[in-house]
Amino acid sequence: MRIMKKFYRIGLIVLIIVVLGGVFIGIYLFNLKDKDLKEVKPDFALTANDLLNTFEADEPAADSTYLNRIIDVTGIVESVKFGENNAVNVSFKTENPLSAVICTFNSTPDNFRIEPDDTVTIRGELTGFLMDVLLNNCVIVKGP
Amino acid sequence: MKRLLLIFVFLGLIISSYGQKLITRDGYIGFFSHTPVEDIKADNNQVASVLDTSTGDLVFQVLIKSFKFQKALMEEHFNENYLESDKFPKSTFSGKITNLKSVDFSKPGTYDVDVEGELTIHGVSKKINAKGSIEVGPSGITANSKFTLSPEEYNITIPGVVRNNIAKSLDVTVITKYAPM
Repeated sequence: MRIMKKFYRIGLIVLIIVVLGGVFIGIYLFNLKDKDLKEVKPDFALTANDLLNTFEADEPAADSTYLNRIIDVTGIVESVKFGENNAVNVSFKTENPLSAVICTFNSTPDNFRIEPDDTVTIRGELTGFLMDVLLNNCVIVKGP
Repeated sequence: MKRLLLIFVFLGLIISSYGQKLITRDGYIGFFSHTPVEDIKADNNQVASVLDTSTGDLVFQVLIKSFKFQKALMEEHFNENYLESDKFPKSTFSGKITNLKSVDFSKPGTYDVDVEGELTIHGVSKKINAKGSIEVGPSGITANSKFTLSPEEYNITIPGVVRNNIAKSLDVTVITKYAPM
């Protein structure tokens, strides 16, 4: 009898620990933010022009290589535009005047001082291709 | 191939009425869902849009994956479970300003506009009407609109467990600052 009681008590404690652990993990996952790409190794590193060329040459193939991947893009800045809710878009010059590579920062970084004609490297997650190749969650790897 | 077609369409648009097309590739579309349980907000600053000031034709294109949420898990559910962004990566609107006569693109001011057209989300196309405004200012032409849409109409099914966390009707905000093409 005693052994059974002890057994139940241990079982109960284990159950409580598991449930509490589950709740904490749940809350943690629920509140998780997008990962900071500064802490992530890039899957690819290439110039803005090469990246755009790859998409223009064969979009499905480029999608299968680069979509949702972390990419370090290097190039000359064409424009810097401040968007809604503190976001900022940096677009890279390419040989095609109608298309660019656009990197969106979810919020403008502190001491942000990228300007047109600067040569910079930006890391971002490739979300796809509309008129431009689009990257999100961007961070500066090498500033001007 | 689609890309080539798009380029031809845009080239065609340029040639057909040079100087009357306005374009943006970093416009904004956001949406907001309010329920007693929680507020959910998403922002997309990578909106491509073309406005023809001579005909009132208006086109929008966005990538679903460009919508950014406060919480990573929300973004994951939005992409994988609700919008199925791998299957339907883009959302488009193609329509027209129906009261174009009331807008003077050469005179600074804010003009109320009515827009109607076809909105495609999650592979489902629906005719929609929305009110908006065109702002002719010193730094260019800006289009603004706020309207509501309901996920159910676009075959977006939200499972019972989180049904109370997501509003039946979402508030959508559009802000696009155009530049000449």
